[in-house]
Amino acid sequence: MEIELTINDESTTVAVESDDDLATVLRRNGYTGVKCGCDSGVCGASKVFVDGEVKMACGVDAQNVDDSEIETIEALGTQDDLHPIQEAFVDHFAVQCGFCIPGMIIEAKSLLANNPDPTEAEVRQAIDDNLCRCTGYQKSVDAILDAADRMHGDRSVAADGGSRIDSCRPGDAARDGDSDE
Amino acid sequence: MSDDTNDPQPDGGTASKPTSEEPPEFEEHPLEWDEPENNNKAPDERKSVSQPAEKFDDRKLVTGQAKYTADYEERFPDLAHAAVVRSEVPHGRVTAVDTTEAEALDGVYAVLTPWSDAVPDAKYTSAGQSYPEPSPWDMNVLNKHVRYIGDPIAAVAAEDASTAAAAADAIEVEYEEYDHVVDPEEAFDGDAPQLFADDEVENKIVGHDYSRNRMSNIEGEIGDVEAALEREDVHVHETEWETIRQSHAQIEKHTSLAYTDEDDRKVLITSTQVPNHTRRQLAHLFDIPIRDIRVKKPRVGGGFGGKQAMVVEPIPLALSLAADRPVMYEASRDEEFYAMRSRHPMKVRARTAVTDDGTIEAIDLYALSNTGAYGSHGMTVAGNVGSKPMPLYSKVPNARFEADIIHTNTPQTGAMRGYGAPQGTLALEGHLDEVARDLDFDPIEFRRQHYMEVGDLDEIAGMMGGEGAERRIRSCGLDECIERGKEAIGWDDLEQPPEPHRHRGIGMALSAQGTGVAGDELGAAQIMMNEDGSFHLQVGGVDIGTGADTAFIQIAAEVLGCDEDDIIVKSSDTDNTPFDYGAYASSTTYISGMAVKKAAEDAKERILEWASRMLDEPAENLETRDGEVYSEESGEAVTLEDVGYESVYGHDDREHILGKGTHSTEESPPPFAAQFVDVTVDEQTGEFEVNQLVVAVDCGVAINPGMAEGQVEGANHMSFEMAVSEGITVDEQGRAEVSDFDEYGLPSATETPPIESLLVETHEPTGPFGAKSVAEVPTNTVPPALSNAIREAVGVRINEMPVTAEKIKAALDQK
Repeated sequence: MEIELTINDESTTVAVESDDDLATVLRRNGYTGVKCGCDSGVCGASKVFVDGEVKMACGVDAQNVDDSEIETIEALGTQDDLHPIQEAFVDHFAVQCGFCIPGMIIEAKSLLANNPDPTEAEVRQAIDDNLCRCTGYQKSVDAILDAADRMHGDRSVAADGGSRIDSCRPGDAARDGDSDE
Repeated sequence: MSDDTNDPQPDGGTASKPTSEEPPEFEEHPLEWDEPENNNKAPDERKSVSQPAEKFDDRKLVTGQAKYTADYEERFPDLAHAAVVRSEVPHGRVTAVDTTEAEALDGVYAVLTPWSDAVPDAKYTSAGQSYPEPSPWDMNVLNKHVRYIGDPIAAVAAEDASTAAAAADAIEVEYEEYDHVVDPEEAFDGDAPQLFADDEVENKIVGHDYSRNRMSNIEGEIGDVEAALEREDVHVHETEWETIRQSHAQIEKHTSLAYTDEDDRKVLITSTQVPNHTRRQLAHLFDIPIRDIRVKKPRVGGGFGGKQAMVVEPIPLALSLAADRPVMYEASRDEEFYAMRSRHPMKVRARTAVTDDGTIEAIDLYALSNTGAYGSHGMTVAGNVGSKPMPLYSKVPNARFEADIIHTNTPQTGAMRGYGAPQGTLALEGHLDEVARDLDFDPIEFRRQHYMEVGDLDEIAGMMGGEGAERRIRSCGLDECIERGKEAIGWDDLEQPPEPHRHRGIGMALSAQGTGVAGDELGAAQIMMNEDGSFHLQVGGVDIGTGADTAFIQIAAEVLGCDEDDIIVKSSDTDNTPFDYGAYASSTTYISGMAVKKAAEDAKERILEWASRMLDEPAENLETRDGEVYSEESGEAVTLEDVGYESVYGHDDREHILGKGTHSTEESPPPFAAQFVDVTVDEQTGEFEVNQLVVAVDCGVAINPGMAEGQVEGANHMSFEMAVSEGITVDEQGRAEVSDFDEYGLPSATETPPIESLLVETHEPTGPFGAKSVAEVPTNTVPPALSNAIREAVGVRINEMPVTAEKIKAALDQK
């Protein structure tokens, strides 16, 4: 079957098999920033916004999100214009292998939208189901607390460019892949 | 700091006390190290090294643009997906595999069994190690004799993952079942079922005795431990310790994509720590020349040793050959727990002989290691149970270590961060703490009497021979690690909780590791200059998320005097980067980084030669800095870009400036750590709360302090898990009882205490710019420090991991 989705502000129609979860559908359509670490909707790597609410995309039946608005990590900053949360993760060395980081950043964005000035305990609670094997969470927590300052204080940090690779977002002309909308 | 340093080493840390006798000469391990002048720069002279350079791939990682193996899927429109049929019996022989139904399914491209032509018959080891391999060849890609629930028997390639899974489900396997054994002591002693007939193993390892399910026995000794234990003037203490079967739990599952490219080359894009070893192993298995295989490592979502094994690669390769199309195999999370690798569960016995004045006369460790169904890293991991922690106490005259490595019908074990040192460190640091308390010595001072100092010849590391060979200690920051750790945790002013039944205590433990495998590693790099003054750095070293590529860039930039952004790093592609042993044994910065440094120096020599001609000044007057070559004498300068253009487009002469460097060494300097754990225990219930972890690490010079701290914190988190989580438990069939993260106790953000990492800088003259390793040593220390903290808080000793409220309560009830 086909479902209608708005993914990162672009309306699109995607093919969905009966047993597809949302993570599979998003990845198949080029949104590979959505990561799958557990197969069971518990590790947090596949987090996206579904109609404004954070969900683990691998635990969402794709057929149930027809007509939904989806926001993935690809909708946040770009490499030369990072979102303040992304900047903070980079500046705090909070990223090691990076596999869990898109999901953690999505969750951090949700947290800071609802609670602009969280305590450390609130940050830890917010990312409690974003499992990370690399960091011990210390630097991720520090980064999210700093991101709160950057977003709501007056400490916004200019991004300074840096190397980038071609976007893998659908519709991006620079892309040479095969997954079209 | 201790005040016994009468010959302080400016950068190397604590010096040894002078002895009345002249120290003997050890020509092969001189204290003086012929260090290149540029290797020992003061902190304020370093432009790239020690600076917080941005991790070069971070922007890709935080924006979701980085490519891990599974993300290559979209580049292969005809990609097939694999699924594997695994043994459902703990021990038996496959007598028949019915694939009819699977083959009849729409969208199935290939079905393989142990009898298929595309499946190699050769025996091999999955351990990704040097050659000749120090591990037995005891398994096949698909097995007829199955030895654990999870052994691969058949494999399928199909148009999508769900079709592959359905086809795998449709395969019927018939077995002749054998008796099985899951307990290592039972497997070793008595009439246990035998897992391997003698002729089922090639490349057998020292001390093997398959009639008793022993894959290997190793031992080493200096002095005479038994004689010391029998002395009348010593107290003999004996304790036993037990550790968990810990999962690597890297969030990216083992994933591997195989295809044949347009030049008929077999290509693996794979999440591995050991591209070159994987290439060699695949060549052996498939009887394909090494040159015809290409192993390419994209971004890797964590390894921790779990990907220092060729765990999945042969299956997609065999399937791609059979199906004549690209095949990707991504293990399921369930398979990660039962069919990939884990840390060896062990029992370790510690014995010491200690005199009344607190002199340790002898240390004896014995480890019984459960290697599971196959040998893999079993022998070398067990060796490190002794050879990593015991050298901490290099002043102890008699030391002995022995290990038996035993097969059971349980999931496979392998390399894991710390590599045996966590098990040995628990036993040794828990034991010494208990002895100190028993004999009424201060636990720290007791350790301090015996631990390593600069100048010591460490013979204990060499007592096992080969790996971790005898070495001279040229940098040691143990004293500073302890002092800074004590201060950070608040050692001297600990407040007790108001409730009388709750008690707070701090425990500490020390640790040492190695940096690379002494005499058994190689790293290589080459660097080519572009005409715009930038550089391409090609290095075999393997970044699995640690930031190694960034450290390589910083090392090269430091040598070349350019900005980090002017260096493009290409790593870990066997077609396009030089040889490297891979990311293991804490070797990457030390071995591969030194190769990068040499390559950069080689290129720099040519740059100075060209600049010398351009400036008409002798090369020895020239130096590079901030993207320029300048002359101290004349003040004249040319840019690296000028040199780049001139060298390739020059009127009279032309040269592409290329530098190369290879590095191997007999050295393996230990990094050190001092761990502190602050715990509050409720003596009524046994419930405990870890308030804080502090770990201070001497890693020499940190190439990138932010990244190094990250390594320390992540390692400490893994160590904390080893202390408080059950790991992978198995039932009486040897079946893993864990199938997802909910069941596996990977501590989450709220379950992890704050971790404070302290970098204690020393200077290791054998390492690039003074660096030694950082990423493993903090993996070893939380289990003993937590056990010691609970002992301090409520007076009971927990010897068996994980520490639980039930165990504490039971011990309190017995007190």
